[in-house]
Order: sequence, then C-alpha cells, then structure tokens
Amino acid sequence: MIAQIVLSLLLGIVLLYAWAQYRRSPIVAVLACVVSLMGFYFVWLPSHATRVAEFVGIGRGADLVLYVWACISLIVLLNLHLKLRTQHELLTQLARSIALANAALPEDASSSSPPRTSAFTEAQTSQPRYQLADGPRSGQTADQRA
Amino acid sequence: MRNSPFSSIWVVCPAYNESTAIVSVITRLRQAGYDVVVVDDGSADETRQLATASATAVVSHPINLGQGAALKTGIDFALEQGADAIVTFDTDGQHRASDIPRLLEALVSNQADFALGSRFLTEPLSMPRMRRILLWGATLFTVATTGLRLTDTHNGLRAMTRRGAQALRLRQNRMAHASELLAEIARSGLRYVEVPVTIDYTEYSLAKGQRTGDFVMILLDLLAGKLYR
Repeated sequence: MIAQIVLSLLLGIVLLYAWAQYRRSPIVAVLACVVSLMGFYFVWLPSHATRVAEFVGIGRGADLVLYVWACISLIVLLNLHLKLRTQHELLTQLARSIALANAALPEDASSSSPPRTSAFTEAQTSQPRYQLADGPRSGQTADQRA
Repeated sequence: MRNSPFSSIWVVCPAYNESTAIVSVITRLRQAGYDVVVVDDGSADETRQLATASATAVVSHPINLGQGAALKTGIDFALEQGADAIVTFDTDGQHRASDIPRLLEALVSNQADFALGSRFLTEPLSMPRMRRILLWGATLFTVATTGLRLTDTHNGLRAMTRRGAQALRLRQNRMAHASELLAEIARSGLRYVEVPVTIDYTEYSLAKGQRTGDFVMILLDLLAGKLYR
C-alpha cells in the first residue's frame, strides 16, 4: 500500500505537469497524461497489470509498470529538449536584434536608408548603443556551418 | 542592376568562416551592380573584416546561430533597407552572379514572388553520386510534405519579391531552414517558379556542403519544429 501511495503521488505530479504544459505543447501534455493515467491504473490494479503484461509478453506486472515509468521519463526528456529549442529561438531573436542594431553600413547608405524598426533598436533609442567586443568569439563548434 | 524592374535589389550572403572565398564572391556581385549584405554568423576567421572591406553592408551575429538564422537576419536587414527584391546567395563560390538576372526576370515574367534556382534543369552535372542520391531523397520528401513541384530543394540561390520575403516565417536556424523555407512558400500560397542555374562544385564548396549525417539532423529538426508551437 505504501508503494502504491508513493507511486500515485509521483504520477499525480506528472499529471499536474502535463496540465501545466498543455498550452505550450499539447502533444507532449496529452502523451504524459495518457502514460501517467495508465500508470495509475496498473499501480492500483496490479493483477490487471500482470494480465496485460502476460498478454504483451513481458511476464510480470511490476515490470510493465516499470516500463510505463520509463516511458514517462522519456517524454519528460523530450519536453526538456523542446524547451531548450524555445530558449534557443529567444536567443536567436536577441542575437539578431543586436546584429541588426550594429550593422556596418557605408555612410551614404545609412543616411539614405529608412528609419530602422527593430525592437532592439527602438529599445536602445534613449540608451547608449550596444558595442560588441572584437575579441575571439566563444560558444562555437566546428560543425556549426553557416 | 540596370534594366531591372526592381529599384532596390539586395543580395543576402550568409557566411561562416568563409575567408577563403568571400572576397571573390562579393566582388563579382558588386561588379554586377548589386547591393550585398553579408551576414557574418559568428565566424572565427577573417570573414567579417574581409566582408566589411568589400560588401555594401555587414551584419554580424555575436554568436554562431546557423545558416537559416543568418538568412533570416539578412532578409530582415534587406527589408529594413527598403529592398523590393531579395536574392539569397551562398558565399562558398558555388553560385554564379550571372544567374541572378534570370531569377529576377522570372519573378517578373511569371508574376511570381519566389524564383528558386535549380541545378537539375540545366545540363547533367558532374556531381558526387552520394550527393545526388541525398538531394533526390530531399526532393521526394519536400514534394510529399509541401506539395511543391520542384526539382531541386536544397539550392541556396533564390530570388524573392518584398511581398514574398515578408510572408516567410523562418524559425529553423540550421540546416533544416531550406525545407522550412519551401514549406513556408507552400503555406503562403504565393506563386513560385523554378529557374535553371549552374552550380560550380569545387573541392572547397563540397567540403563546406552538407554531409550524409546532416540529413538525419534535418529530419529531426523538422520533426521537433512540428512538435512545438
């Protein structure tokens, strides 16, 4: 019974996580929901788990529950990966704004060009202009080709 | 450019560690009369300095983001400068500036918003067999996923109108950007046309090009892009 309660608590946390993530990534949230609900079912009805496990050729119900848990972990990992992607997109937007705000233009072109409209430029109008260092860049890898 | 219906044409050149070829590429484009913006994608070599001396404008990413991100930055810059036609052009020397007028002409004569270069509409190329197979696979994938009828889906030489450029929502930073760009063309519903262009394969451009394993990463990137909003 203790193990069932502890596992249920953990599965409940996963359900909460899925609910919280629904707006950002519905696919990940639905998958997490389905897998955790399956976990609930098998934790509280282990005999069913054993029957299903036998049916799919695993043998023991406990092993099946373990596999379900492994699935949840993998889904969370996938979600973390996707979150990293989102962070990288934000980083890209920031780097782009900096690049556009610091574009090197010949004098004649810059005087005749229309006013710049990037968000970063607008944010910088009342502040000192951002200046990039000329030193060696960091964070590059050889396979990151342009 | 003379005799062009476009009053402001900008050529966008994404560059990452291209100090070997960039000066000759930019020089040819400038001699042909185009405004050139080089997007230095956090190069560790002299690319930025060389580009500053020869290009119309240089935009520098503070860190390396990838070719897709560099293209998007260059297109944004050209739009800010009031470009009414934008050309994307690789800086490894594989494209010919002499192909650009044909792309621009195709935009006008077909009333299209995108003119996409195709190496397979010209005479048979002397191309490494593995690269030919990969490009063929990429073309099949693109036709299946976007419905666009194209012969060459990974050609860096393209021209687009201002309206076309504004319709693109590019989020893929790295190699998957070429497929994403085509998907965006399909989504926009704007007219596109393929134009024969010549690719000059050199040892240098082949070394800079995509490898077999890159196509796996492209598929993974495209899949991840679909999973997240």
